[in-house]
Amino acid sequence: MDHLALRVRTLLPLLFLPIGFSFSPLVAQEQPYQIRGTVVDAVTERPLPSVQVILRGTNIGSITNEAGEFQLRAPVAAGTYTLAVSSLGRATATRSLVLGTERFIDVGTIELEESAVSLEALVITGAGVVSERRRVGNVVETVSGEAVAEAPGATALDVALQGRVTGALISENSGQPGGGVSVRLRGTNSILGGAEPLYVIDGVLVDNSSAALVGLGANASTSGAALSNRIADIDPDDIEDIQVLKGAAAAALYGSRANNGVIIVTTRQGQQGEPRFRFKTSASWSRTPDTYDLLDYPFAGLGDVAFGPADSIGQPVERFDVQDEIYRTGFGTNSQLSVSGGSGGTSYYLSAGWDDEEGIVRSSDYQKRTGRLTLSQLFSEQLSARVNLSVMQTEAAFVPEGEQGTGGVLTAAIFIPTSFDFSFDTIAGRFPISPLVGSGHSNPLDVLANWRAPEEVVRFIGSLGTDWTPLPAQDFTVRYLFGIDDYRQESEFFRPPLSLRPQDTGFITNPIRLSRQFNHDLTADFGRRLSGSFDTRTTAGFRYTSSTSNVLVASASDLAPGQTTVGGANQFASESIDEIRTVGGFIQEQLSFAEKLFLTGGLNVEGSSAFGADQRYQLFPKANASYLLHEERFWRESAIGDLLTALRLRAAYGETGGQPPGAYLRFDNYFDVVYGGRSGYVASQTLGNPDLEPERQREYELGFDAGFWGGRMDIVFSYYDRRVTDLVLSVPQPLSSGAEQQFQNVGELTNKGYEIGVSTTNLDAPGFSWRTRFSLGHNENRVEELVTDADTLVTRYLNAVVEGEPIGVFYGRGYQRDDAGNIVIDPATGLGARAPDFKIIGDPNPDFVAALGNTFTLGENLEIDVLFDGRFGNDVANFTRRITEFFGSDAVVEEEIRRRIAAKTDPTVEPRIYTLNGGRITNYEEYIEDGSFIKLREVSARYRLDPAWLGGFAEGASIRVAGRNLYTWTDYSGLDPEINLFSANTVARGVDFATTPIPRTFIIGLDLTF
Amino acid sequence: MRASLKRILFLCMLPLAACDLDIENPNALTEEEVLADQAGIISLAVGMQGLYAGNFEELIQASALVTDEWGTTTGSLLSYRTLLQGPTVDIVSDFGVVEEPFETAFLVVRSANTILENVGGVQFDAATAGSIRALAKLFKAMALGAAIQHFEEIPIDVSVPDPVFQSRDIVLDTVIALLESARTELAAAGPSAIFDTRVVPEEFDVGNTIDAMLARYHLIDGNYSAAITAADRVDLTSLSLFIYPTPDINPIFNLGIYVSPLASFVAEAEPGDERPAFWVDVSATPTGGTPPDTLLLPFGQYGTPDDPIPVFLPDEMKLIQAEAYTRLGDFDIARGLVNEVRTQSSSTVEEPVANLPAIPEAALDSEAELLAQIAYERRYELYEQGLRWEDVRRFGEALTTVPTIEFLPIPRQECVTNETLDC
Repeated sequence: MDHLALRVRTLLPLLFLPIGFSFSPLVAQEQPYQIRGTVVDAVTERPLPSVQVILRGTNIGSITNEAGEFQLRAPVAAGTYTLAVSSLGRATATRSLVLGTERFIDVGTIELEESAVSLEALVITGAGVVSERRRVGNVVETVSGEAVAEAPGATALDVALQGRVTGALISENSGQPGGGVSVRLRGTNSILGGAEPLYVIDGVLVDNSSAALVGLGANASTSGAALSNRIADIDPDDIEDIQVLKGAAAAALYGSRANNGVIIVTTRQGQQGEPRFRFKTSASWSRTPDTYDLLDYPFAGLGDVAFGPADSIGQPVERFDVQDEIYRTGFGTNSQLSVSGGSGGTSYYLSAGWDDEEGIVRSSDYQKRTGRLTLSQLFSEQLSARVNLSVMQTEAAFVPEGEQGTGGVLTAAIFIPTSFDFSFDTIAGRFPISPLVGSGHSNPLDVLANWRAPEEVVRFIGSLGTDWTPLPAQDFTVRYLFGIDDYRQESEFFRPPLSLRPQDTGFITNPIRLSRQFNHDLTADFGRRLSGSFDTRTTAGFRYTSSTSNVLVASASDLAPGQTTVGGANQFASESIDEIRTVGGFIQEQLSFAEKLFLTGGLNVEGSSAFGADQRYQLFPKANASYLLHEERFWRESAIGDLLTALRLRAAYGETGGQPPGAYLRFDNYFDVVYGGRSGYVASQTLGNPDLEPERQREYELGFDAGFWGGRMDIVFSYYDRRVTDLVLSVPQPLSSGAEQQFQNVGELTNKGYEIGVSTTNLDAPGFSWRTRFSLGHNENRVEELVTDADTLVTRYLNAVVEGEPIGVFYGRGYQRDDAGNIVIDPATGLGARAPDFKIIGDPNPDFVAALGNTFTLGENLEIDVLFDGRFGNDVANFTRRITEFFGSDAVVEEEIRRRIAAKTDPTVEPRIYTLNGGRITNYEEYIEDGSFIKLREVSARYRLDPAWLGGFAEGASIRVAGRNLYTWTDYSGLDPEINLFSANTVARGVDFATTPIPRTFIIGLDLTF
Repeated sequence: MRASLKRILFLCMLPLAACDLDIENPNALTEEEVLADQAGIISLAVGMQGLYAGNFEELIQASALVTDEWGTTTGSLLSYRTLLQGPTVDIVSDFGVVEEPFETAFLVVRSANTILENVGGVQFDAATAGSIRALAKLFKAMALGAAIQHFEEIPIDVSVPDPVFQSRDIVLDTVIALLESARTELAAAGPSAIFDTRVVPEEFDVGNTIDAMLARYHLIDGNYSAAITAADRVDLTSLSLFIYPTPDINPIFNLGIYVSPLASFVAEAEPGDERPAFWVDVSATPTGGTPPDTLLLPFGQYGTPDDPIPVFLPDEMKLIQAEAYTRLGDFDIARGLVNEVRTQSSSTVEEPVANLPAIPEAALDSEAELLAQIAYERRYELYEQGLRWEDVRRFGEALTTVPTIEFLPIPRQECVTNETLDC
């Protein structure tokens, strides 16, 4: 979160709270007024905590508690005042108060609209820069902490964002607990660089690395695909709100790390008053949505003869489905206890969270322990400080999955014929070795019982922030924030001897990553009213960041039986250190004319150590305009003003950058070689590029926010056009120079699209309300320029980068077709023949991403939420089916076996050959499937217990029954079209290969406040 | 406001005091660091030798595959197959077998050039600096010489962008000039303890190797008298070796899972010739290989990972002289040299010995007979030294084998990136 936002919500009220405040002479001589009230959601009537309440014209304010109640002590003179109630992401509500002789005033219930166009809502546009939404000409999406914390079954905040950010493509890459999540905001914006957004928590730049320490998702030697990403360490229950800046137009002030957008998280802060406790707990049950449809025909086929126990085709065989022993119902619990309170100049928020989850695949589980303390202290009218400390420990036990070579559990289930019995061999005293010896195939039951792939992270995220208002009469604030994110990630991969083949001597690797990021932000903010209708606000800031990562790997092979640590005959170790520092400054000027027209211009200059001296400092400008048409008299007075009660037009332009794919690409590096027992240096074949620049994004955004019938329906529309130039690519060098490549800024791509968010209040009757939220995003990605026109960069299996095509298109061989376009049948196999040429056969990027959420309230206490989330027009490469067919373990092979048996007596029977059909397995077009889907992402029903029933035990209590990913509508034939073998990889998307499907989860929960 | 701004700026500076954007790469040295001192230059010189020695197989494999030395253990390696089968299969210019000799040669050239340009920048004594320069010139000459045996044309001055490819004659003249210059520098430098203990292994005799390479390239260039003179200077009782103490691995040994000697190498030898058994494990049962219907035998020499590889063999000098005298018309001396090689029955160094009878004058007194015999002796004496392809070009009809291809095409990456090329 950002410290200005914090100031507004927390420190302002603290600053001027007279209670117990001995050294600040604020107190008027009269007895202060006591103002109280309750703030609730306008539709659901649910109490809203952490809402800021300010008495305008004074510096008196407070924050609502968990029950939505607030209390102000106002030592002010009698008169008419305005009470303003505001919260991030919601429209501000005001009440007029006449303070007279009555000292105790109850303003009753104040309703706050949650509105997509809530123009008064506060949004973040840069480090330490907040503004009311109406002043900002770009879209900033806000997701409330409530929504994040209550997203059923979402133990990571990025999962909780699924279906809640218009147009965002948010995918769980694997269904393992703690599994990695990929977030794409307005398309993919790099080729060699990362594609995930920057995360900022309470002003601290945090690491969201998904670089693999141990390759478990894809071939260990080539992947870089981790099963986790580090934002999962954060406890979603601590979140106050999340703001999403989707790209350059919104995030220019975040400079050279913001090409993929910025996700800004604000955590809960302390509130004045007696300690208030909140306890949330839930239990969950998860199951795989489906299993592979494997062959159960009790007669042997070619696969059973080639790799299984059968001697001849047609021979009766016993079939096993090892999936029964792989999957289980995963049980989980998730609890959080928090307490908040404060008195005098001090307020605090303290929380502890426990999260335990069993995976749907046996032996996989995930545990998270979190603790957080936020402490704010007011030192004087001018100076306050705040400390955020949070510690996290996560422990995950993963199981290998994905392609061959990793000992994947589901992998073995698809490669090995179902006639093979994996169960424990009591005579040999071990699990039988996979019949596919030599290709890295395991016995899945052996893996589940004896292999290990744990990951432990101990992490500290902390910040110190101060706010200083040196000129009391002026709207002038200086803020400073120091943030640190420090963690140690220890992974392990242990494969015992005898696992893959009789000569297997086992392997162990223990990589450790030490990661440390810190940032210093200094911001000054100065607002002035120049004339009656003309305001200016000037913000200037300075930022220094450093991120260091040190990866140490110790590995050993040739293990002795029973050895479980690195040691023994054959050991190797390596170390790699990466560090990037940036320093920069920005200035932003915001002008407002008659509270109708707002113009913002900003310049951000940033230098990064990753770039050479000549290119070090880069300029990232921004400009935007916001025009509130409905504030014009002619509008309000016309008939359309009754229908379209709010209409804002906006336009924005901004530039951001992307860091290069390596920290040291500007150097001509030399590497050690040993020759003849002497150490020597050899120049790297990658030439350094001292002129390397950031990948640069230029984004235009145009849009409008429209409110119909006083907020019954809101529409937010944005069109964007972004071009990323200077993409860093490997440029081949003449070999005669003794070099092979140099990274240069040569590529270019574009993302163009639109986003529509519609929210309606369909019914708002006493006892029943119904609200709908719909979002739709369309993005067109196009690779505009590569090193040469003819380049086709194929990454991983099929995903390619081709000029004029969307990034990551599937590129491979396809069907042979006749002139009429019909597939030519190969008489030898009875199936379609393969053509020799390579072509584009699919596109993993969806045409549309959509979500539909409905919220119903029934009576006083029951609330029901239903969220559908879908994507349309994306292809998935079903490598799982490709393998089950080729190795004869697919149910479809039954027909092949029947025909083979029949052909023994009747030679006229036409064949249908899947097993070991070399033409079909290289005919990738066959395995490209439409991966469009609609998921019933979330369903939840919450019942608020009548406080009267609770007696004195608790102030409030509610019971929740919920589910996540309960059903998927799709034509995709595999288990789950959302998963990706290559995890968070930038280009290699949409590949399903024995990856754990995303589970179906049921949850029961209880929330208590006391 | 002004006072506040000053305070702000002051506050800015506090956390930024340590803000330095000139981060060095902790994982690897930069060129600047390497070139800064004597240790860096010495390590570069060691690295240059390591590059040549460690990638030695890339400089001999094409020669062994396009002639009659090696086959492959599997037919699935398309790039090897193109060399084995030649024009019947398209040679794709981005195959590893095409790129590797070019790439390795110019990696060595780059390394040598860096040394030559920068050795003067550090405070070496004259003897050490001269010796290092001589070593760099020797390796640059060997790299260019190896490359011109693979490609019809190669560039020489690679310090400029888009270097121009030069004809074989110019390249050979350059190689010889480099070697002559290396010889002069080494002689002028005198002994250097630093060079002898820290730069070259004691198994490598720089002076001897320079003379041997002079003999080799003078012969290829047709300078027969000069070849004889240079070969005369070579001390035949001392080998120069590329060494592979653990953890280094002899790269030919390492290649052994893909390639193997053709059994025909043994079968076509003169009865009693002991040299095939030096190179090949003749006791093994031949196995089938590629090209189809060929038989393979395991490596004899280079059968273990730490076997050294000789940079040249002593008898190469005798055979160079024999060939030069033959081409100059002095058949008697030539015959004497051939018979010296044939009748050698033992050696103080590890080299193949033929232990064959001498050939009588009557059978070896014409240019054609002598060249055919020299070609035979070279085949068995200098197996897998990367010389056979060039021998085929020089001896022509005197040899029984025809190379599958004449030269390698220019690697595709060079074609695409070097503006002077049109290929």
